[in-house]
Amino acid sequence: MASRYDVIVIGAGHNGLTTACMLARAGRRVLVIEKGKAVGGLCAPEEFHPGYHAPGILHDTAQLRVSLLEDLHLDEHGLDLAPPEPTLFAAPDGGGLTIQPADPGATAADIARLSAGDAARWLEYRAFIESARDLIEPLLNEAPPDLASLGSFGPGALGGLPLGIAARLAKAAQRFGRRELAGLLRIPPMCVADWLNEWFESDVVKGGLAHAAIQGTWAGPWSPGTAANLLLLECTTRHSVVGGAAGVANALQRASRQYGVEIRTEAEVARIRLENGAVAGVALTSGEEFDARVVASAIDPRSTFLRLVEPGQLPIAFEHRIGVLRSRGTSAKVHLALNRRLELAAKPGERVARARTTGTLDDLERAFDPVKYRGASARPLLDIFIPSVASPETAPDGCDVVSLLVHFAPFDLAGGWTPAASRRLGDAALAELERVAPGVSKAVVARAVLTPADLAERFGLDGGHIHHIEPALDQLVIRPTLDTMRFATPVRGLFLCGSGSHPGGGVTCAPGALAAAAIVAAS
Amino acid sequence: MFRFGYAGAFPRDGCVVANPVARFPMPIATPFHPRTSARCVSLFYKDWAGYYAVRSYDTTHDREYFAFRHACGLIDVTPLYKYDVRGEDAARFLARVMVRDIRKLKVNQVYYVCWCDDHGRIIDDGTVSRLTDNDYRVTSSEPAWHWLQRTSRGYRVSIEDVSDAIAALSLQGPTARDVLNNVTEDAVAKLGFFKLTRAKIARADVIVSRTGYTGDLGYEIWMANDDALRVYDALYAKGHPFGLQPAGLDAMDVTRVEAGFILNGVDYYSALRCMIPSRQSTPFELGLGWMVSTEHGCIGSEALAREREYGSIRKLVGLDVDWNETEALFRSHRLPPEVHPGAWRDPRPVYDARGAFIGQATSGAWSPLLKKNLALATLVREHTAPGTEVRFEVTVEYERRTVKATVTETPFFNPERKRK
Repeated sequence: MASRYDVIVIGAGHNGLTTACMLARAGRRVLVIEKGKAVGGLCAPEEFHPGYHAPGILHDTAQLRVSLLEDLHLDEHGLDLAPPEPTLFAAPDGGGLTIQPADPGATAADIARLSAGDAARWLEYRAFIESARDLIEPLLNEAPPDLASLGSFGPGALGGLPLGIAARLAKAAQRFGRRELAGLLRIPPMCVADWLNEWFESDVVKGGLAHAAIQGTWAGPWSPGTAANLLLLECTTRHSVVGGAAGVANALQRASRQYGVEIRTEAEVARIRLENGAVAGVALTSGEEFDARVVASAIDPRSTFLRLVEPGQLPIAFEHRIGVLRSRGTSAKVHLALNRRLELAAKPGERVARARTTGTLDDLERAFDPVKYRGASARPLLDIFIPSVASPETAPDGCDVVSLLVHFAPFDLAGGWTPAASRRLGDAALAELERVAPGVSKAVVARAVLTPADLAERFGLDGGHIHHIEPALDQLVIRPTLDTMRFATPVRGLFLCGSGSHPGGGVTCAPGALAAAAIVAAS
Repeated sequence: MFRFGYAGAFPRDGCVVANPVARFPMPIATPFHPRTSARCVSLFYKDWAGYYAVRSYDTTHDREYFAFRHACGLIDVTPLYKYDVRGEDAARFLARVMVRDIRKLKVNQVYYVCWCDDHGRIIDDGTVSRLTDNDYRVTSSEPAWHWLQRTSRGYRVSIEDVSDAIAALSLQGPTARDVLNNVTEDAVAKLGFFKLTRAKIARADVIVSRTGYTGDLGYEIWMANDDALRVYDALYAKGHPFGLQPAGLDAMDVTRVEAGFILNGVDYYSALRCMIPSRQSTPFELGLGWMVSTEHGCIGSEALAREREYGSIRKLVGLDVDWNETEALFRSHRLPPEVHPGAWRDPRPVYDARGAFIGQATSGAWSPLLKKNLALATLVREHTAPGTEVRFEVTVEYERRTVKATVTETPFFNPERKRK
């Protein structure tokens, strides 16, 4: 006889744990089923070499939506917030500058070394971001409007949506200025390169910002819609979490224990059981079954519907829509164990926790170019995280762990991700690191390369995509599909609560929190 | 000249063709073309799914029509779309797609079927034959590969388009069985209605199914392209004493109206190609409700179950157009009565007694056998009871007038020999 729960959550990543904790707080009996050995998903740290602990796959915690998580009192479970971390934009010639989100003045002073005009523009840029934040943040911190009923005359649609949008726009116009609001609408469809060219002249500044915009995308800086990614990223950067993504995962794990969430690790869901078109529970690959009227899936939408729902249960048009979602992973991860501290050419003698390679916009575009033809970048972009700066216990004394998010490496690499291809990726990443940290290669004692294919295999990510589905403008506005953008799905009792849902990927916990609210509201 | 219209490009190079069912900018020949073209003295062809298809061998189709009804007619039906669906989930998969529960189909049996979209709107009609345990063949009037492919996610099946690999003949009429028994050593003597059997004709392996589109005793013969001429010659030679005539599409069109058979693109439109929902149809509206099973969870089953419960808003019926009124109408213009010499498929409006529009007649024909002017019409529900009198539009001397028509059950013609 199968055990009965109110809700079963598939996947114990940061979003799955958020949904589970919030529902448990709301009095539900919750079971989380996790394929891996440990919880945390893309936030889970691992010891990849004796004495060296790599952070999770995702390492930017600046977008964590603390306001949505207040109910969970994560601070009581060890969540410790700090101001957003400075990021070094490291140029291939050894130059660079440090962007301090919390201190525009200091950043401008650093930029002034490269361009006086850009220094002044930086302050304007930050002021623009601060005012745009007022408009954009609320959009991302609540469930998206019910676009599926747009134009219908139901009481909810008529009263709710247009009035809600009108009220929100009126409020924003008041705060933001009517002309500015209209001007803001211009930006999201733009290429990030075009937008940055309107602001800055220095390649180091433009390249560093554009790099942030195209991370995890299937796009280069000259691809339309990439300005939206930068805008969203800037407007949601508020703080950092001490201990990085692992700090988030640990706090959620402790909270889930206290709120009575049951977690089953090393258990893989084989299928979501349906009865008369509604959710009845899940069946594991081991044959074990659990009953629940509600299943919340924190894994990606394509795996959820195309792998876990039995064929013949979904409307054909919907199944097709899910089938054509784009989830072509382009990010790889490389962990390096160093036998000394990392020294970056741009900041000799300084301890730098975060850095990002920069270059001309054309350099960035060239890094993306081969992806279109299933090739990997010869000169990849590196998002560099050195966890041992803030957490010395992650590496032996006097040594560093360096964790790189590497772009671009396509999931569907021509010829496949053979051991040789994986090695080439690691070599290319290291060669690129060598440019900004000369001599680092000799200090590497061990390295772990996770190609998109490895990410797909290890974390069950469709297309090996770290954000579940691509953060392209269309897939951000309607995420993942019109019928599922408010977390409920055409299958009664099945909800989505992962990065494939609004407001998207990254360590935000927002999809998990908003989905939990939708589940509570639906029952 | 013809190629100029396509800017020198063929659709395989990405050119868009106006007719969505045409696969080539110019029709091509079927494997029977050397024989059929030699006999087609009228040179009267049409494009059927991208193939040259004979409309009538003579300048009129009458002789071929009477062959169907009194002897037998031999028609090249190669242009039908054919798909082989194989694999351990083939039955489950086809049951999901088709409104009939294909899991109940037995080996060597054929189902007449239709399939729908998510909203229970018909996409096409055709047949499913079960050739072996896990080996099915689907025929359709429009290309169906993309739909079968799109709906097959998660099923262990392979779908192969064999439209161009298999040639097909249809032998229809009261002497069809005798002809086939003569060339197959009695292989079809006991072949039941909507059953199939394997046989040899002129040493070629063929599949014979007791199916057709004339509403009469008849068979369809399926073979490899390479065997086409051999089989054709054998049938033609042995069929002569039984009155076998090569027949074209025009004659078959009259017989299919008499039989009350619907035609995709004429009597209804595929839901996938309708720009407005009111153009779409449901199986119930088209008189195919008998084949709909809402139990087995086919695509659109929820909508179909609702429609079964609440009824349809429209229904396809037969119309018997009043001859006396037609004759009187033309006489008032000092003209002899005019009827279309063959079957027609240009839709005409139908009105109620007060002149309100109630639907459309989509195809029809003068039936030489029944001596009646027949039509198939889709009308709003309240005017569909047999015996209801409606007004059918007739144009006389450029003026649109109406004559009386009586709602009739279909088929208009249904001989016992069809099933016996």
